[in-house]
Amino acid sequence: MKLGKVITITSGKGGVGKTTLTANLSAALASIGRKVVAIDTDIGLRNLDVVMGLENRIVYDLVDVIEGRCRLKQAMIKDKRVNSLYMIPAAQTRDKMSISPTDMVLVCDQLREEMDYILIDSPAGIERGFQNALAPSDQVLIVTNPEVSAVRDADRIIGLVDAAEKGPAQLLVNRLKPEMVARGDMLSINDIVEILAVDVLGIIPEDESILISSNRGTPLTLDNGHMPRARIAVQNVARRIEGESVPFIDLTAREGLLSKVKGWFGG
Amino acid sequence: MNKEIASSQITIKGIRDGLLISVGRYYSFADLYKELKEEVTQKGSFLRNSRIALEVGGQILTLEELTNLQILFAQHGMALWAILSRREATREAARELGLATRLPGSKMDLQGNGKPDPALAPEATQNQQPPNALLIKETLRSGRHVFYEGHIVIVGDVNPGAEVVAEGDIIVWGKLRGLVHAGAAGDTQATISAIDLSPTQLRIADRIAVTPPAEKNQHILPETALIRDNQIIAEPWK
Repeated sequence: MKLGKVITITSGKGGVGKTTLTANLSAALASIGRKVVAIDTDIGLRNLDVVMGLENRIVYDLVDVIEGRCRLKQAMIKDKRVNSLYMIPAAQTRDKMSISPTDMVLVCDQLREEMDYILIDSPAGIERGFQNALAPSDQVLIVTNPEVSAVRDADRIIGLVDAAEKGPAQLLVNRLKPEMVARGDMLSINDIVEILAVDVLGIIPEDESILISSNRGTPLTLDNGHMPRARIAVQNVARRIEGESVPFIDLTAREGLLSKVKGWFGG
Repeated sequence: MNKEIASSQITIKGIRDGLLISVGRYYSFADLYKELKEEVTQKGSFLRNSRIALEVGGQILTLEELTNLQILFAQHGMALWAILSRREATREAARELGLATRLPGSKMDLQGNGKPDPALAPEATQNQQPPNALLIKETLRSGRHVFYEGHIVIVGDVNPGAEVVAEGDIIVWGKLRGLVHAGAAGDTQATISAIDLSPTQLRIADRIAVTPPAEKNQHILPETALIRDNQIIAEPWK
């Protein structure tokens, strides 16, 4: 039997878009027919439920499962907008020490038998919460923004992922503004890869519609009839996770970036 | 995927030089420490007065963590004398504490790797001077700290947020972007060389310098930093 894959989405730095990307990527994978569960491991600061618009349906959470107050199935909230998409929320009134890396491995091993993908939304930081999110992982995606502090934290995380023998991690560069890169006011993909020296799995442009969809609780990848570039970029990440070779979309309204991106990815 | 979640991942066996304790993979040092503590407390009387070689596999343990382990063993009347690790970072830290990093008389490490590792050489002949250079063949990412009482040669980059401190010279065959301190014990003759010398901060003995902001499209030249006329200067690497 084919076992599901556990993908951890992490970053070190907060506010780079881990939760939003987890929600959108989960929805994108479910939209192409995969069975997906997204797990919020940010115990005490849960957000994934809000971004996915499932907040009002929470009965049980991850800590309830681990402490045996409910069965795993009972904590899995089914998304009604798309088949085969589920979410397990974090507990809001507890802290990161309520669960251990071993607990996460056990929960994920159970989920692997039913699901194609288990996406883990990691909390910021490098402490217990991050260790919890990393423990069961088969593939680690590191979200970074084109700014020096986010890249610095990504570098630290890549080192920790390697040390835990979970590497090589792959990179999702989020909130890129092509016109700023063209002006030389923002780190380019080139600059980021030069420092981090890991593969880039996706480049997602800054896009207002992502923020709007998060506030509405409708992942952009579920919002029919709406096709901004950021959505296509996330769908492409989903296809790459599936093993397809998808070229990077042309984010350059103007010249400058494309040649650089091409330089790195061969077009 | 096969995951190890064995309840106890600690094995103890007798070897010529005392006891060899092997620990499995732990998600955090705290977990490792906790289990090890339980184990030595439980078997305290049996283990008392033994010399301990600790095998830690692929986990990276810091100087502080190794010190804690040393104290733990000492509290139970045991002497930790060797740390066996697949990680150079862990071995570095062990050497700093004066611990051996391989069992004497064995050219192989425990994984059966027979390739001589230059950084391992000194342990075969204990109590001698450490070798005069430490060779590190990997990129040091943010958060890594390397100290050595001789020279340090790095084949790879030193990223911002990483720190390299040597009592001798530092040579980086790659991009040097982190913090480096050569001649850390006061040697003003120490030098720092890199293919791309642009550290966050550079120290030689008790002097400190920062890299001037790079000009756009500046051509990168291998450079050496040294103290001349009482200040740190960089000149082309010869």
